[in-house]
Amino acid sequence: MRILIADDELMSLRLLQKTLERAGYEVTAVENGRLAAEQLCPAEGPRLALLDWVMPELDGPGVCREVRKRKEQSYIYMVLLTSKESKGDVVAGLESGADDYLTKPFDPEELKARLRTGLRILNLEDRLVEAREQMRFQATHDGLTTLWNRGVIMDLLGRELDRSRREHVSTSILMCDLDHFKSVNDTYGHLAGDDVLRETAKRLLSSVRSYDFVGRYGGEEFLVVLNNCNPAYALARAEEIRKAIAHFPVQTSSGPVSATMSLGLLLSHEWGSLPLEDLLKQADAALYAAKAAGRNCVKVAIPKIVPGGPDLQVHEPLRLRR
Amino acid sequence: MKETEEDLSNLTFNHAELLARVDNDRELLYDLLAIFKEVFPRQLQALGEAVESGDGKLVAVAAHTLKGMLLNLAAGQAATAAGRLEQLGRSGETSGFQDAFAAFEKDAIRLLLQLDACMAEVHG
Repeated sequence: MRILIADDELMSLRLLQKTLERAGYEVTAVENGRLAAEQLCPAEGPRLALLDWVMPELDGPGVCREVRKRKEQSYIYMVLLTSKESKGDVVAGLESGADDYLTKPFDPEELKARLRTGLRILNLEDRLVEAREQMRFQATHDGLTTLWNRGVIMDLLGRELDRSRREHVSTSILMCDLDHFKSVNDTYGHLAGDDVLRETAKRLLSSVRSYDFVGRYGGEEFLVVLNNCNPAYALARAEEIRKAIAHFPVQTSSGPVSATMSLGLLLSHEWGSLPLEDLLKQADAALYAAKAAGRNCVKVAIPKIVPGGPDLQVHEPLRLRR
Repeated sequence: MKETEEDLSNLTFNHAELLARVDNDRELLYDLLAIFKEVFPRQLQALGEAVESGDGKLVAVAAHTLKGMLLNLAAGQAATAAGRLEQLGRSGETSGFQDAFAAFEKDAIRLLLQLDACMAEVHG
């Protein structure tokens, strides 16, 4: 464990350093409070600190205050070292953000025991953060495929559409559905079906750019959001996805299973300011057109302008890319 | 009289306590004594200058530093004398500076002699 010690008194610094190194700590020693704050404030800095109270440039409580100003970073456990003993001083030290204090000259065993207390607290924080991150992941990702779940992919799509309207670029929506997936489950079993869904997720992710979004929209339905892309790129990407699914059987626990995917593509810039729900309906309609056209293909949702009529209407998707 | 001086001398520097503090690491003990021998004269001079200036804040800061060093060496008596100067500095009682400084110097000189002997023993 790394620990920072800060003391302008060289004997104390040397004594602390040696005592802590013997106890197995990786010690960084500095001689004033300003240097201590510079070491502690970065995200990758030590998380355990022993700070002398009286130091040049910035005193121990001052270092504590600087460190506690940081937000969204790991907790730093700080112990003030002081020869001060009055209750008011101790209160002031703890109020500045210190977790504990030790009176100099310190007893080595007491010092080590108090630092072990600090380590317990840091370990507890690590476990809490890990648990929070797990919960956050579970709340935002699909448990089977680890893709974004429906709520998140919808949210990401909404933001991306807003951004593309502001910046006058196009966002592409790909509504994707595995063909005859029910028969995969019926023929090979649900475990094999799960294998197909997981592998489909991997192939979708590997077919798009790192900054595009892929989510599980429903059972065997997936939603892909291609950010800031032109029509040619979107069509090429959709076709790439279709091929990635169809070209190689998925290795499942029940043997290789062939799969194909139908896709409905929508380019947002062609649809003005149509609400997200309506855009999804149009993408869905394009997907069903692809199903109706024999599956394993891509159809594009095309808006139709009707003179004197409502802003936009959709006619039968026309383009077929195979 | 001789007995009293020896008793005081024993109080000046607690060798056993210091050894325990460094976990019987004689090399570390020697290092600490060497640092003290190097730093102490400068700090003593700074304290003397502060006393001469009559600046209570400077006296308190210099005396506080010395007190910390001396406590680390288990030199309780000299540390107490430094603490007295620190208190006088904080409270701005300039009239007591000279006497308190003289008492501290006296303790410090005796301590330095003891530390020389200790260093010779550790090094030997």
